[in-house]
Amino acid sequence: DVFLQRSMSMILEEAVKKATDVRQKVCEWRSPEELKELLDLELRDGGESEAQILERCRDAIRYSVKTTHPHFFNQLYAGLEPYSMVASFITDALKPSLYTYEVSPVFTLMEDAVLRKMVQIVGWEEGDGIFNAGGSMSNMYAMNLARYRDFPEIKELGNSAAARLVVFTSQECHYSISKAAALMGIGTKNVFVVPSDKRGKMIPSALEEQIKSAKSEGAVPFIVNATAGTTVLGAFDPIDEIADICEKYKLWLHVDACWGGAVLMSKKHRHLMKGIQRANSVAWNPHKMLMACLQCSVFLIRDKTRLLQRCHSARASYLFQQDKFYDLSYDTGDKSVQCSRKPDAFKFWLMWKALGTRELEQRVDRALAIVVLLADVGNLINGIKSAKHGCSGCGIYDERNRTLKKHVAPVIKERMMKKGSMMVGYQPHGGKANFFRMVVISPQVSRQDMDFVLDEIHSLGMDL
Amino acid sequence: MYFYVQSRFSLLTADGQTMEPTVGDLSDPLINHTEGQLFLHEAFKIIVEEVLCKGTDVKEKVCEWKEPEELALLLDLELREKGEQKEKLLQRVRDVAKYSVKTSHPRFFNQQFAGVDYHSLAGRFLSEALNTNLFTYEVAPVFVLMEAEVLRGLRELVGWTEGDGLFCPGGSTSNMYALNLARYRLYPEVKSQGLWSLPRLTIFTSPESHYSVKKGAAFMGFGMDNVIFVKVDDGGHMIPEDLDEKIKLSKSQGAVPHFVSCTSGTTVQGAFDPLDRIADVCDKHKLWLHVDAAWGGSVLFSKKHRHLMKGVNRANSVAWNPHKMLVAGLQCSVLLLKDTTNLLKKCHGANASYLFQQDKFYDVNLDIGDKSVQCSRKVDCLKLWLMWKAVGSTGLEQRVDKAFFHTRYLVEQMKKRDGFQLLREPEFVNVCFWFIPPSLRGKEKNADYQNRLAKVAPVIKERMMKQGTMMVGYQPLGDRVNFFRITILSPLISQKDLDFFLDEIERLGNDV
Repeated sequence: DVFLQRSMSMILEEAVKKATDVRQKVCEWRSPEELKELLDLELRDGGESEAQILERCRDAIRYSVKTTHPHFFNQLYAGLEPYSMVASFITDALKPSLYTYEVSPVFTLMEDAVLRKMVQIVGWEEGDGIFNAGGSMSNMYAMNLARYRDFPEIKELGNSAAARLVVFTSQECHYSISKAAALMGIGTKNVFVVPSDKRGKMIPSALEEQIKSAKSEGAVPFIVNATAGTTVLGAFDPIDEIADICEKYKLWLHVDACWGGAVLMSKKHRHLMKGIQRANSVAWNPHKMLMACLQCSVFLIRDKTRLLQRCHSARASYLFQQDKFYDLSYDTGDKSVQCSRKPDAFKFWLMWKALGTRELEQRVDRALAIVVLLADVGNLINGIKSAKHGCSGCGIYDERNRTLKKHVAPVIKERMMKKGSMMVGYQPHGGKANFFRMVVISPQVSRQDMDFVLDEIHSLGMDL
Repeated sequence: MYFYVQSRFSLLTADGQTMEPTVGDLSDPLINHTEGQLFLHEAFKIIVEEVLCKGTDVKEKVCEWKEPEELALLLDLELREKGEQKEKLLQRVRDVAKYSVKTSHPRFFNQQFAGVDYHSLAGRFLSEALNTNLFTYEVAPVFVLMEAEVLRGLRELVGWTEGDGLFCPGGSTSNMYALNLARYRLYPEVKSQGLWSLPRLTIFTSPESHYSVKKGAAFMGFGMDNVIFVKVDDGGHMIPEDLDEKIKLSKSQGAVPHFVSCTSGTTVQGAFDPLDRIADVCDKHKLWLHVDAAWGGSVLFSKKHRHLMKGVNRANSVAWNPHKMLVAGLQCSVLLLKDTTNLLKKCHGANASYLFQQDKFYDVNLDIGDKSVQCSRKVDCLKLWLMWKAVGSTGLEQRVDKAFFHTRYLVEQMKKRDGFQLLREPEFVNVCFWFIPPSLRGKEKNADYQNRLAKVAPVIKERMMKQGTMMVGYQPLGDRVNFFRITILSPLISQKDLDFFLDEIERLGNDV
């Protein structure tokens, strides 16, 4: 099909090749009103010509942020991973749904192979798991399974079949824990927030205090969420000590390693997650540091009793017929809360096959090394202080004009976006005024790029 | 005040050594973009040939059946230390295409999605290439605006001039969101306090509804038992009088009915619940009315057939999956809301300060991420928008009308042939039927007739898959034993394909 060939050439040229070219802009900022007009979004009765549609594709690319650009540092994902992109293209062309072996034979097996490998890397002998539509969902699954394990009757009877359940997590955890508690009928107030130390790590003694306190209120602790790689500071909760406490009180230990899980690929850095094999479940998003295309989120569980299946199943007879002609254990759909499910594992599998474990390890090591560099260099620039956070984040604090500190970052951000030179996120945190959070992921990023970032922040804010 | 000193300690390894950057030369990028792009280019050629050309060609198989153990060996799934060469990887791409089911094939009738649209396909490729995350305007300017426009267009078809909505990772999620909103509207304190102090909430739906209502009820802490099934008629339509009865009964038992999920286009039979009359009942009892139109929603594009969803504008929420009948490609699932009080954001928002800073330089209302329960969210609107722009609402209407037209044709043909017994006259594009092989014809009165009939479909299914000639699903329903359900929606099929379908069922099943 000619249209497809043309659109693909354009995609490869504009959205892939140019997007990673440091000489191009990271973003082509337009105000919302302006952009609406430029894009002509309205949906009409009549169709349009191929040429017009191609133009629209071109516009969509032009005004979109180039998340694969070497100077895009705004989020916990970045860079271009061509092998996982190819896998995405294949799945988009095949459009399979991953509920049964009959419809998705290849991808069912692939998901299984990837999960097994990841279970091995976590350090479990056996396990189960599933690819989800995001880390938030993985965290929800952990809560659901923990709840089901302790109170299986909740599946049929609802939360009121048990006493008030409570969740423990650190103050630096991802907000999906809170959203999960709300969605699952547990309630955000029943998420007990455990203080973290100055580095952002959960304080185990405080955890134990909170657990005792909850019990004395008559509530029932059932899960602790430890974070491996917190969102802002990149901190790793002390898993071993937390596991001790969980074992003592018989609580489910879930490790949200959506961001930090990648360190498990590195012999040098995996100690950051020491104790991980003691967890009951792990959430890990290869679409973050390992750069698989969005979505690529994994939920792993240390379990041999088909808990995932039992917890979620509804056994719909139009999908999971019991009289099929092949081994029904290959129909994994009932493990999920979703019905149609994309084969996100393939993105990870193809890239892993292409690169090998060793190269993935090298990438992780490199990302962590570059950040050390950034932290060192940052402090050599007048008016800027940089500090390495956790493993692969770096805070950049602008000291100029201390009284106006909180206004500095937003102004610099606005300027960098309107100029299109780079994108770095900022946020306030724990009483500290806005600071920039530099996150380094992509192996395309080098020393020069770090120099660039610091110079740019400095020069964009010179007149403030 | 700053972390500088403390964070140095976090660099220490277990034995107290500082970690020096020793990973290669950090002056150069570690990645070779040219190589990657070349691979993309070559892989794309294979995708076009193997998946799009062969995959839509009736001369090729729909599927290349292999037993799981055999397939696992063929694919060489193991993940190893070292990477592989380009040629090897391209072969892997070919293998994946070869052994995957060709869901765009004209003889793939197995699920509620099929066919291919090249515009939405281009939209999907583009979405992947840009790898955009849809939580804020700063990261996703184009798509935040685009999503809003697509939702507006879909709402208009529902009959709402205002409202809210979101793209979700599937209809199951859309249904859950609706459940959550209904609960939150009635008891906003549930967000912080959970269900512990609330009365028992009950949910009403039909037994022919999608199983995600039950899964959602379990997941969200309601409990599957609190999903109350309302009786359906022979065609699988919810009976409004029984809904009223069940609601009253639930109240008398001390529960609080709060949500009705009716279905526009049930999964198996394709039935459309009578929305107007159900809305009357919901209005009377003040319950949230959700319409799960994941499958049937697309009839709203058709002037001729939209009457099937008459009354939908009275609903509070509608779930609709364009990846089904509109051929937008997985995932493309929408939740539409009548609400204009920002309920979605209030219900789901957590105000994370690292994403939704209030001091941004643009209107922060454009940061829609807090409407979702997800954090990272893919761009699913581009595929629909691009296709809609390309063919227009009229084009999409024609697609829907054609599906109905083909369905009529198939039913007529079926009636002319021996051995094909319809469950009932189809209302939508699901045609449910038994194939009665010659050996069973005339034997309806036999005691073991039902048992023997139940075994027919599985055998035919196995044969069709192993031969790769076509794929169509079967299932039991209630007390009706295994029957086939063919869903006719692909814009690629013609009457020849439908004739083939009937011929093939006969060929595969005549000696059963």
